[in-house]
Amino acid sequence: MTTTTISHSESFRAGKALGLDHRKLGMWLFLATEVMLFGGLLTAFLHTKLRQPGLSVTAESLLLVGLNTFVLVTSSFMVAQALDAARRDLKGRLRLYLLATAALGAVFLAGQAYEFSLLAQEGLTLTGSLFGSAFFTLTGTHGLHVLIGVAWALASLLGALRRRGLSPIRVEIFGLYWHFVDIVWLVLFTVIYLV
Amino acid sequence: MKRRAVLVVSIIFVVALVCGYLVAANVNLLPEVASTRGELMQRLFNYLLGAATVVFVLVEGLLAYSVLRFRRRPGDQGEGAAIHGNAGLEVFWTAIPALLVVVIAVYSFRVLSAGEAASEKSMVVEVIGRQFAWEFRYPEQGLTSSDLHLPVGTPVRFEITSEDVIHSFWVPNFLAKRDATPGQVSEFDVTPSEVGVFPVRCAELCGPGHAAMVSQVIVESPEAFEAWIERMANLPSDPTEAGRLLFGRYGCTGCHVLADAGASGLVGPSLEGIGARAGETVPGLDADAYLRQSILEPRAHIVPTYLENIMPADFATRIPPQELDLLVRYLAGR
Amino acid sequence: MTASTLGTHSTPSIRRYFGWSTDHKVIGIQYLVTTFGFFLLGGALAILIRTELFNPGTDLFNGTEYNRLMTNHGSVMLFLWIIPVLAGLGNYLVPLMIGARDMAFPRMNALSFWLLFVAGVVMIGSFFVGAAESGWTAYVPLSIEAPAGQTLWAVSVILLGTSSMLGAINFLTTIATMRTEGMAFMRLPLFVWSMIATSLLALLATPVLTVGLVLIALDRVVGTVFFSVAQGGDPILWQNLFWFYSHPAVYIMVLPAMGIVSEVLPVFSRKPIFGYTMIAFSSIAISLLGITVWAHHMFTSGMDPRLRVPFMISSMIIAVPTGVKIFSWLATVWEGKLRFTTPMLFALGFISMFLIGGITGIFLASIPVDLHVHDSYFTVAHLHFVLFGGSVFAVYAGLYYWYPKITGRMYDERLGKGHFWLNFVGTNLTYLPMFLAGLLGMPRRVADYAPEFTLVNQLASVGALLLAVSTVPFLYNVVVSWVTGPKAGDNPWGAKTLEWQTTSPPPEHNFVELPVVTGMPYDFGEPLGVPAAAPAGAGD
Repeated sequence: MTTTTISHSESFRAGKALGLDHRKLGMWLFLATEVMLFGGLLTAFLHTKLRQPGLSVTAESLLLVGLNTFVLVTSSFMVAQALDAARRDLKGRLRLYLLATAALGAVFLAGQAYEFSLLAQEGLTLTGSLFGSAFFTLTGTHGLHVLIGVAWALASLLGALRRRGLSPIRVEIFGLYWHFVDIVWLVLFTVIYLV
Repeated sequence: MKRRAVLVVSIIFVVALVCGYLVAANVNLLPEVASTRGELMQRLFNYLLGAATVVFVLVEGLLAYSVLRFRRRPGDQGEGAAIHGNAGLEVFWTAIPALLVVVIAVYSFRVLSAGEAASEKSMVVEVIGRQFAWEFRYPEQGLTSSDLHLPVGTPVRFEITSEDVIHSFWVPNFLAKRDATPGQVSEFDVTPSEVGVFPVRCAELCGPGHAAMVSQVIVESPEAFEAWIERMANLPSDPTEAGRLLFGRYGCTGCHVLADAGASGLVGPSLEGIGARAGETVPGLDADAYLRQSILEPRAHIVPTYLENIMPADFATRIPPQELDLLVRYLAGR
Repeated sequence: MTASTLGTHSTPSIRRYFGWSTDHKVIGIQYLVTTFGFFLLGGALAILIRTELFNPGTDLFNGTEYNRLMTNHGSVMLFLWIIPVLAGLGNYLVPLMIGARDMAFPRMNALSFWLLFVAGVVMIGSFFVGAAESGWTAYVPLSIEAPAGQTLWAVSVILLGTSSMLGAINFLTTIATMRTEGMAFMRLPLFVWSMIATSLLALLATPVLTVGLVLIALDRVVGTVFFSVAQGGDPILWQNLFWFYSHPAVYIMVLPAMGIVSEVLPVFSRKPIFGYTMIAFSSIAISLLGITVWAHHMFTSGMDPRLRVPFMISSMIIAVPTGVKIFSWLATVWEGKLRFTTPMLFALGFISMFLIGGITGIFLASIPVDLHVHDSYFTVAHLHFVLFGGSVFAVYAGLYYWYPKITGRMYDERLGKGHFWLNFVGTNLTYLPMFLAGLLGMPRRVADYAPEFTLVNQLASVGALLLAVSTVPFLYNVVVSWVTGPKAGDNPWGAKTLEWQTTSPPPEHNFVELPVVTGMPYDFGEPLGVPAAAPAGAGD
């Protein structure tokens, strides 16, 4: 008696031969679109900055934003640890590191909100000037991506709390996204505050 | 088989070359050329047209030949020759077009450089685009006009900008255009080479009046140009003549009908007999007040069926009071 | 023997096509039907335009109404018809052609279609609140001041871009990871190669347009000042962001069309495709080069004059891989045994008319020539030759070619040929005279023109009527043949690619047994996919 079923692994034979997991490949391709998205926003920002140099960086501002950068980089380290825990099936550690990631992401967002309010008090607003429009749109888009990442981290945490836990591939794919958001911030930080 | 192929291709190629030559030498698809840069472009264009004809006849010829010659005979269920490629041929038809485009690019670059060469002796004319009329300012002569007068043979540097949205300053007979972009001044060098009257058209969508945004360039002898400047600098003493001149200068002729001013524009309402009706159109406004307001605030009293956002709304900043008086007086008398 | 659960010939009930399905074949048909509806809408707008332009002067529409017709004609045709219809054909065909059972991400695939549907509703919705009227290119500052529909237009295009990007991720992942055994990259059908090249562009270029549209939307809705000249904004920034996507977009619109031509020609010449490798690589070359040419749309913008030259060079270089394809196609039909079925006619028509579009592209790439003909009817003629004479003809070729596979029935050949000739004559009549009008000085996007252009416009309007009429035999053919046409069988054309090695229409999971590939897709005389050994106890 033969019942032919569709084998899932049979479907992705070619991927396995190339050493590519289709879900990871999908995430890499998505990240490629995100590179172009931030590339476009950065172009608009740089174009604006050349026409209207705007942001004079105060020492406090740089300190605050520098701290925030450190927070985000640490959160990436947390994600790396989470992946390691997932691969070694250490459920407790996985949950802890996911929580840490989400928490650090939230701290980053709070820091950004505070920095925005400081800038607003100094007169830099979204609609008040060309530079303001460019600055807040660029950093705001990044913040939106961090927010989505925090939500994803929490959703992953919920998944990790279940009995069957969270598979390493899912943690890895989340990690790709989170590291990307972190790297974008490093570029933004450099272009906006250090150049 | 291969020999037959080479023979057919060669014949079609020779035919293509002949067609290309005939077209390049005899076919003129461009309007009358009235600028020196245009003359350079025309030659380039004709060469391109010839080359294009060769390629066109060659490819379409081979296609037509194949369609006629290689039609499957009824009942023939066999297959064609299992030819997958030919390295030499593929290199050939990659290299030759590559060479061709290099030649075209180099020739184009040279025409571009020669055509855009600025001159120290250029006369500056500022071109201001606004919805939906062109304004031409002559800073060296201190005057403004809605027609573009130019002396033949004198290099002109156009400094082009816009007061509102992007327009594009195109004189088809000059064979070149440049966009009028708000917030920037674009430089555009032309030397007119033929006397005549040529249209000026807007070539960038700028709103409902885009098609109506036309003017004209009058290329004339240097003497005639000087005479025009004289006339523009001094208004005639006769108020009717002065009014008629101002009616043209501010571009009213482009959109309105008024036989006395030689105007046959169809964009806005006709102004024939406007003098008689101006006092009766809006209760409470006499002719003078109605005419004045209709010029300075065009949105105030739109004639039914006409769009309300076509007539320029900034005449208050552009027409000095005494000229406005003359204009209103002129219209009151039509 | 037990019947395989995969062997069901089930043609899904018609209700399945109106809802959420993750079957790529259902999604493909949803795309084809929906986009063709938008094609008819875009065509109706064109007929209104050509009626207005039959005579100079304002006849039926004032300037504002005309600008809305013209803007939405272009936007509907580009964003709601030609880009998605090719994605739809790709959706239906790619898994079949590579020997897979579906796309890599079936749910994301369904999402792509429904994003298109919603985007279409939004764009049509914009007609009712003051339609977009700044051209499909939406140059600022004009588009910032336009009425409410312009924002909906921007939202619609953002949704479409998202649909397109998700589709690109899906196609690339599917092709990379789901090819059946023996389907090496260099054995892929050329249509699949064209989808790889197209997906690269959709992936990388679309986000930049999204950025531009977001900036416009923010300016309009929130009050940012990106494009406010008074605040120091630069209108040229929009042009750069827009064209960075929109030039590659035209290759998104034409590469799959070229892929279709490469599928059709060998089958109806009974000869292998000539120069498979170079055609495959030329698709990738066009894709990559296509990202480097965008500012050739901005030669008259007042951009730095020196920067124009590299863009002229890259725009000319891109003619070379395009030429490679045309010559390879000629060599394919040469010494073949040509059968002039409807798909073959449309494929040959593509070559003859895309040639005109491509040649005139060289004219436009030459800066001195472009400075004259930019934004004139020369450009309008060029774009319609490549998009209508080119892409639309190829789409028709594909629709007729794969009609028997999709429906299981054969269309009526005579109606098909009639459709072709109406289209061929109509296209040439409509667009050839436009080259002349542009050269002589007729700008584009005008509701009115100088009397000297009247004859050209009248010829074009008559041609447009022929094109409109041509859709009648097509629609009749599609509908009636689906119901009463003769059964087509699995492989009525005797083709070699994998979609023809399964039933018409294919079963739910495409293949009873996944095929194993042993040869090239256009090797006439040799069988292509040989199924793996039948399970013990199965019948013949």
